[in-house]
Amino acid sequence: MKKTILSLWLLLSCSVFAMAQSLEDAVHKLDGAASVKDYEALEKTFVTLTGQQPNNWLPWYYAAYCNAKIGFLYQEDGDKIEPYSVKGEEQIGRAQSLLDSTKQKQELSEVLTVASMVNRTKVFINPMTYGRKYGMISEKYLQQALQLVPDNPRALYVRAWVKYHTPKMWGGDKPLAKELAEKSLGLLAKDKAGAVPHWGKAEDEALLGKFR
Amino acid sequence: MTRYLIWIFLAALPGIVYAQQVPKDSAAKAASDTIPRGTPKNLKQVTVSAGAFEASDKAKGASLTPMDAVTVAGNNGDLSQALRALPGVQQIGETEGLFVRGGTSDETKQFIDGTLFKYPNYPSVPGISQGARINPFLFKGILFSSGGYSALYGQAMSSALILESVDLPEKSSASVYVFPSNQGAGMQRLGKDNRSSFGVGLNYSNQTLYNALVPHVPDYFQGPSYLEGNANFRIKTGRSGMFKVYAVWSKSSVGLYNQDVDSAALRSGYLVKGSNVYTNMSYRTALGQDWKMETGLAYSNNKDKRVVSLVDAAEKPATLPEVPLTLKHNRSDIHADFAQARVVFTRFLSGDQAVRFGAEHFYAKDAGVYRDSAVAQTDQLSALFAESDIYLTGSLAAKVGLRLEHTSLLEQWSLAPRVSLAWRLNDESQLNFAYGLFYQEPQNEFLYRNRDLSLSRAAHYVVNYTRRAHNRFFRVEAYYKQYNDLIRLLPPDAKSISTGNGYAKGVELFYRDKKTFKNLDYWITYTYLDTKRDYLNYPTELRPPFAAPHTMTIAVKKFFPDWSTGINVSYALAAGRPYYNIRYSDGWQLADEGTTRPYNVVNLHISHLMTLFPRWKHKDFSGFAVGVNNVLGTKQVFGYNYSYDGQHKMAVSLPANRTFFIGFFMSLGIDRTDDFINNNL
Repeated sequence: MKKTILSLWLLLSCSVFAMAQSLEDAVHKLDGAASVKDYEALEKTFVTLTGQQPNNWLPWYYAAYCNAKIGFLYQEDGDKIEPYSVKGEEQIGRAQSLLDSTKQKQELSEVLTVASMVNRTKVFINPMTYGRKYGMISEKYLQQALQLVPDNPRALYVRAWVKYHTPKMWGGDKPLAKELAEKSLGLLAKDKAGAVPHWGKAEDEALLGKFR
Repeated sequence: MTRYLIWIFLAALPGIVYAQQVPKDSAAKAASDTIPRGTPKNLKQVTVSAGAFEASDKAKGASLTPMDAVTVAGNNGDLSQALRALPGVQQIGETEGLFVRGGTSDETKQFIDGTLFKYPNYPSVPGISQGARINPFLFKGILFSSGGYSALYGQAMSSALILESVDLPEKSSASVYVFPSNQGAGMQRLGKDNRSSFGVGLNYSNQTLYNALVPHVPDYFQGPSYLEGNANFRIKTGRSGMFKVYAVWSKSSVGLYNQDVDSAALRSGYLVKGSNVYTNMSYRTALGQDWKMETGLAYSNNKDKRVVSLVDAAEKPATLPEVPLTLKHNRSDIHADFAQARVVFTRFLSGDQAVRFGAEHFYAKDAGVYRDSAVAQTDQLSALFAESDIYLTGSLAAKVGLRLEHTSLLEQWSLAPRVSLAWRLNDESQLNFAYGLFYQEPQNEFLYRNRDLSLSRAAHYVVNYTRRAHNRFFRVEAYYKQYNDLIRLLPPDAKSISTGNGYAKGVELFYRDKKTFKNLDYWITYTYLDTKRDYLNYPTELRPPFAAPHTMTIAVKKFFPDWSTGINVSYALAAGRPYYNIRYSDGWQLADEGTTRPYNVVNLHISHLMTLFPRWKHKDFSGFAVGVNNVLGTKQVFGYNYSYDGQHKMAVSLPANRTFFIGFFMSLGIDRTDDFINNNL
C-alpha cells in the first residue's frame, strides 16, 4: 500500500515536474524563436499548456506574447495582423484574470507590458484608422506597467521602441530611446532564466543596433 | 475654395503617426483595469464589395481610410473632387459633381446616414466648378459605389456616394484658420460623461481680394462669396442607441461677366445667389439581441436665383437682333423644399447573415420661375426595400435585394432587383460580381415643362477582382451598363420624350502601395471608358462631351516625420473629350464636332506643422499650408461654346491657369485646466 502511494506520489511529482519542464522547454524555445512560423508553433504549445495548467498565468501570458510578436513581424502587412491581435488580447486578458492584482505586482507589470504590445499591433493594422485609439490604449498599459515596476526591463524596452518609432512632434525621442534600451539591457543581465519572463535581450540589441 | 482645407492637415496628422496622447484618466486609474477581452470571430470572412470603394475608419492595410480618400491634393475641400482620383470618375474641370462611368453628375447621388443630401454643392456657375457645402471630414465611412449599389438606395442611375457621419468626438477641441480668402472657426465639446457632444462652426470665404491679386478671365461683379454655418448634437441613448442631429446653413453669391460668344462688343452676365438649409436627424439602436433599427429624417430648403444677361461696355442691357431674346436675358428663381423619412430594420441571423428591410418617403416641392416661366411641381416618392446577406459557403457570399418605388409626379411604379456575389479565392484575393437595375426621375428642367415622361433606367453588370496583401491593394473592375428611357428633345419646340438610350462599358485599374517606400503612400488608377448615348438633341448615337476614353490619376502623399512636413501631389491625365455643335434644320444636325486637347493637371499641397504652446497637455497643433492647383499652368480646354449662328466657338477653360492658397491654422483642446494646474504647481 505504502509502495503504491509512494509510486503514485512519485508519478504525480514526476508529471508535475514534466509539465513544468515542458513550459520551461517551450520558454527556452521561445528564446530562440525568430520567424512567424516559430511563434505560431509556440503559441499552439502554450495554448495546450493552458489546458494542463489552468491556474498558471504564464502559458496565457506567453501565448499572448507570441501573438504580439507575430503582429510586430507583420508590421508592414496590415491585412494579416488582426486575427493575431484579437487572439493576443483575449489571452492576455486571461493571464491577467489569474493574477492577484494587489500582491503580484511584478507579474502584473509583465502582463500589462504584453497588453501594451498587443494593442500596439492593432495600430499596425492601419495607423491611420487604428492608431489613435489603440496607440492610446497601448500607452496606457505601458504606463501602468512602469508604474508598478519602474525597472521592468521589458516595459522599458517597449517604451524605448515607442520613443524610437514616434516622430518628434508626437513625443518621439531617439536619444531617450537609446538610453531606455541600454537601461533595459543592463537590467536584463540580472534577470534569471527559467519559465518566468526574461525576454528582451535580443529586442534591446536589435533596437540599439539601429544607432550604429 | 479652400474652406475645408484646414481639416486636411489638422485631422490627417494625428493619424499619420502612431498617436501618443495619453488619455487624461490614465494616471489616476488603478492598474487593475481589466484588459478588455476580444471576441475572436470569423476574421477571414468574405465581404461583398463589387463596384464600390469603401473608405472606412476600420480600414486595414492598404484599404482606404476616409482621410486617405479626402486628402488628395487639389480636392478644394470637396469630397467629390477628391474622389476624382479614384477610377471610374471623369476629370471634369468646368463643373462640380461626379461623372461616373459615362453618367452625368446628376446620376450620382450623395446620402448622409441614409438620407439623400440633395444639394451637396453651391449652385453651379457655367464653366466654374463650385465648392461643397459640407465638411468632407464629417464622415467616418465613405462608400463610393460606381456601380451595382445596394437596394437600400435609389434614384441614382450611375453611382451612390454613401456617407456615414462620425459619432462622438474623442475629445473637446477648438480650431481656427486664416487663409487670405477663407476664414473659419469651430469647436466641438464632448460631454463630461463621454455620452454626448455638440459642436458649431462658421466658415466664410470671399474671393474678391484673391481675384484682385491673381489674374483671371471672368470679370466678377459680385463675390464670389460663401458663408456657411453648421451645428451638431450627438447623444448616446441606452446601451446601443445613438441619436445625431446635424444642421448646415449656407449662402452664396457669384456674379460674373464673360466675353459674349455672339458679339465681340458685348459681355454675357451670370448672377447666381443661393441659400440652403439642410438638417439631418438620425437615430439607430439595437432592439434586443437580433434586431437593429436605423431611422433618418432629413429636411432641406433650397433657394436658387439666377439672372442671365447681355450687357454692353457700360454694363447696360443689350440685345442682338439675330439671337432670340430669351437666350440672352432670362431669370430663374426656384424655391425647393425637400423632406425625407426613412426606417431600416436589420434582423441578424446565424453565421453573420442578416436580412434588412425598410421604407422611405421623399417629398419634393419646387416652385418659382424657371427661365421666365412660372413652374410648380410636387413629387411624392415612396420606396420599399429589402436586402439580405447570405453566406453560401465560407468563401462565397451574396447580397440579394429588391427595391420598389412609386412616384406620384410620373405616376409610375418601378421594381429594381440588385444582386452581388463575392467569392474569396484565398486569403488575399477575391472575385466579385454585381448586377442591378437603377431607376431615376428625369431632371427638373425637363419635368417643369413636361410631366409626360417616364423614369430613366440603367442596368449594371460588374465583375471585379481584388487582391490585398503586404500593405498593397490591387483592384481591376470591368463593367457594362445599358441605359434606357433617357430624355430626348424633339424639335422645334424642344418637347421631350423618354425614348433615348445608350451604353457604357469599360475597365478600371487601381493600385495602392504603402509598403515599398517608407512614409510614402501612393496610388495609381487607370480608367478606360467606351460610352455612347442617343439622347437630348443628339442626331445619332454620340460619345457625350463629358466622357474621355482614357484617364490616369496618381495620388502621392509623403510625410517627413523629422521635419513635421507633408507633401501631397496629385496628377491626372485624360484623353481629349468630344465636343459638338448640334443645330436644327429639318431635324437635329451635327454641324461641327471635334476633340479637345488632353487634360493634364498637377496639384501640389505642402503643410508644415508645429506646436506653439508645447507646455500645454493638450498642446496645440498649428501649421502653415501652401498649395498650387495646376502647378504647371497647363492651359486646359474642357469643351467649346458655339455662337448662335455656329460660326464661332469659344473654349471653356479654367478661370485662371493656376490657383494658389496659403494660410495658417491652429487647433487645440478646450479643456486645459488640468494642464495649467500640473504645470504651475
